[in-house]
Amino acid sequence: MSGEVKLQRNLVQYGPVGRDVTEHGFTARQLARLDEALTLSSRESGLVFSVYVGELRPPTRAHAEALFEKLTDDSVLVAVAPGQRVLHIVTGPDSAKRLPNRACALAALAMRAAFANGDLVGGIVTGLRMLADSAGRI
Amino acid sequence: MTIVQTVLVFVGIPAAIVAVIAFAVYGKSILHQPNRYRPGKPWSYEPAWFVPHPDAVVHQTSEHKQLEANTITTTAVGGASGEW
Repeated sequence: MSGEVKLQRNLVQYGPVGRDVTEHGFTARQLARLDEALTLSSRESGLVFSVYVGELRPPTRAHAEALFEKLTDDSVLVAVAPGQRVLHIVTGPDSAKRLPNRACALAALAMRAAFANGDLVGGIVTGLRMLADSAGRI
Repeated sequence: MTIVQTVLVFVGIPAAIVAVIAFAVYGKSILHQPNRYRPGKPWSYEPAWFVPHPDAVVHQTSEHKQLEANTITTTAVGGASGEW
């Protein structure tokens, strides 16, 4: 399912510069914030965080879990569909031990508040930080 | 005053003032936030999947291999959902 999504590795490093919006809908500055949050939270917690931004086919939860199946046991997927106003946090067998569903729900709540204000990148960054804090250090 | 002068004074000057005020109000957001997301607006951009820098991941080689292989490697266990 949905193997069409390309993985954006080192996107900030090799991506466009300036204020232009890329085809993903983010400016270079926003991408830099995303990259920093992803890298820091992954390094601190030892879990592999990844962020998917785009359309999720209904049922959206099943699509997010299908995307997650390509990752590893210690991964955490944050899937955000701005058009459908839906977000999913998916944990795997190993990451669920460090991140109980209650911690994920708390992060989802904070992200919802930011998204409802129109702050897409800020919400993702906040969610990643909260998840990394909940998981604790390695 | 000729007609041209009259038009310049009574139309040109107010229009210039309105333009300056409009730029002061909206200019910054147009220049700095060309893609400001607003709830309810459609998201027409390509889907993107961002992963951390490989150096930040502890066991990056196996993870990289699995991502490239595009096969089912794990199953979802828990998490949370939300709508706004």
